[in-house]
Amino acid sequence: MLVAASAFVVALGTPAAQNAPTAKVTASLGRVFGHELAVDTVRIDTTNVIRVRRGDSLLGFAQVRNVKGKDQPITFLVAIDPEARLRDVDILVYREPYGGEVAYESWRRQFRGKGPGDPIQLGRDIRGISGATISVNSVTDGVRRALAELAQWRKQGLLH
Amino acid sequence: MHLRTCSPAKAATAAYLLLTSISAPLSAQASTTLGGYGEFHYVNSNRLGAGAVGTVKRFVLYFAHSFDPRITFRSELEVEDAKVEGGEEGGEVALEQAYLDFRLSDHATARAGLVLVPLGILNETHEPPTFNGVARADYHSVVIPTTWRELGVGVVGTIPGTEGLAYRLYLVNGLLAEGFTAERGIRGGRQEGKEASFANPSLTGRLEYARPGVKIGGAVYYGGSANGDPRLGEGVFAAPVAMVALDARLERGPWAFRGEAAYTHVSKAEEISDAFGETVGSRMSGWYGEGAYNLLHLLSRESTAQLNAFVRYERLNTQAGLPGGSTADDAFARRITTAGLTWKPISNVAIKGDYQFRRNKAGAGQDDVVRLGLGYQF
Repeated sequence: MLVAASAFVVALGTPAAQNAPTAKVTASLGRVFGHELAVDTVRIDTTNVIRVRRGDSLLGFAQVRNVKGKDQPITFLVAIDPEARLRDVDILVYREPYGGEVAYESWRRQFRGKGPGDPIQLGRDIRGISGATISVNSVTDGVRRALAELAQWRKQGLLH
Repeated sequence: MHLRTCSPAKAATAAYLLLTSISAPLSAQASTTLGGYGEFHYVNSNRLGAGAVGTVKRFVLYFAHSFDPRITFRSELEVEDAKVEGGEEGGEVALEQAYLDFRLSDHATARAGLVLVPLGILNETHEPPTFNGVARADYHSVVIPTTWRELGVGVVGTIPGTEGLAYRLYLVNGLLAEGFTAERGIRGGRQEGKEASFANPSLTGRLEYARPGVKIGGAVYYGGSANGDPRLGEGVFAAPVAMVALDARLERGPWAFRGEAAYTHVSKAEEISDAFGETVGSRMSGWYGEGAYNLLHLLSRESTAQLNAFVRYERLNTQAGLPGGSTADDAFARRITTAGLTWKPISNVAIKGDYQFRRNKAGAGQDDVVRLGLGYQF
C-alpha cells in the first residue's frame, strides 16, 4: 500500500513533470499545510495520494488531479485534513484562454470545510462565475469526486 | 513504514514527481476536441403578412486541436438557417472564429487568426444556454454587431499580481464604411475574415473583473473605416469609428441581473452618408437591463435545474446623433421589452419561450412577437 520515499527518483525527467511545474505543487502544499512538512505518498489501486505530516502528527492528505475544461485538462490539487474535511482546492495549471477565474481565491475558498456529506454542486452550495461556466462546472464536479474518494479511502483505513 | 523528514520544498517536489509517474497524465498531449452549440427558433409576429416562421438559427461545430501544451488551434464553423442554396436568400456557412493560441505564460496567451472583438457579453460568450430570450437581444445585433469577428493578432490573459482582472488586446482589420446603414449601424461594415481589407487597422481591448457572482467588463474599439476612399479622408485611421461598451452581470441565489451600455461615434458620418447614399448616424447608442428569477428555487433549493423568469428592457438608436442638416428617422429609436421563461433541465440545455413588445419613437412598423426556442452546448 505504501510506497517508500526512496522511490522518489523514479519519475525524474518525465515529460509530465515538465508541464506542471513542481514549484507549484510545493508552493500549494506549503500554503495549505504550512511549513516543516514531511511528505510521502500512499498508493491506492492505480492512483497516489500525498500524505502530509509534521513531526509525529498527521496533517492531512492531498491529491493532484485533472478534469477536462472546454478543450484542455485543468490540473488541480485537493487537500483534506485527517477528518476528511476539505482543507483547500488549488488550481495548479490552467491552460485555456477563458475560464481562468476558477483559480481565483474568492471562488476556491467556497470549498473549504466541505465534508463528503455536502452537495458541492453549482447553484446549491457553490456559486458560479459568469462566462466561466464550463471550467466552474468541471472543477466543482472534480472536487466533489475527489473528496468522496478520499473520504472513502480514509474511512476504509487505506489512508492513515 | 518508511518516512523521511526533509525540507518542505524537497519533500513536495519528490512526492509530486512520484505522483506524476503513476497517476493520470498531467501533461496536455496532442489532442483534438469536438464541441458545439446550436439554437432552433420559432417566431410568430402579429405584423400583417409576417406569420409564423421556424428556423435552425444556428448549428455550430467547435473544433480544437492542441499540438502541444503551448500551441492550440480553436475554431467554430457555423451554418445559419439550416442550408445555403445558390440564388436563394438567406442561409450562411461561415467561420465564427478560427485562431491559433500560443501560451506564453500563466498570464498571457498570444493569439492570431479570425478573432472575436471583445465588446459586450455576448460577442465572446454566445452559446444559447448562457442567455435569456429565444434570440440574442437586439442590442447584440444593432449596437454591438455579434458575432463580430475580424482578422488580427493580440494577447489575452490575466493581470499578474491581481486577482480577478483579465484582459484582451487585439490589432484587427478595420470596418468598411460602405457597409454602414441607418437602420443597423456599423453591422454591415464587418469584414469577417473574407478577403478583408487592411487599409485601416483597428485596436480593441477589454478589461474584466470577476469574482463569484459578479463580472464587470469595459471595452473599447477604435479604427479607421475609409478603405482608401479619398472622400472619407486619409491616413491610417481615416473615417474613425470609436466605441465604448460596458457590461455587468450579478448573480445572487435565485436572482440574476445583467446590463450593458454602448456608445459608438462615427466621425465622418456626413461624408460616409454622402458617398454611399445612407443616412449614417454620427452617434449610435444603446443599453439594456435584465432581471431574472429562478422559479424552481421556490419549490426546491436542492435542485440544480433552472426555470428562469426574466424581463429585459432595451433602448437602441442608430441615429442618436446625425451630421448637420440631416433629420433623424424616429423609427430607429427603438425600445423593446422582452419577458419570458428559460427552462434549463441541465446547465447545457435551454428550452425558451418569450413575448416581445417591439416599439419605436415613430410608432411605425411596431409589432408584438411570440417566440419559442431550443438551445444546447457541449
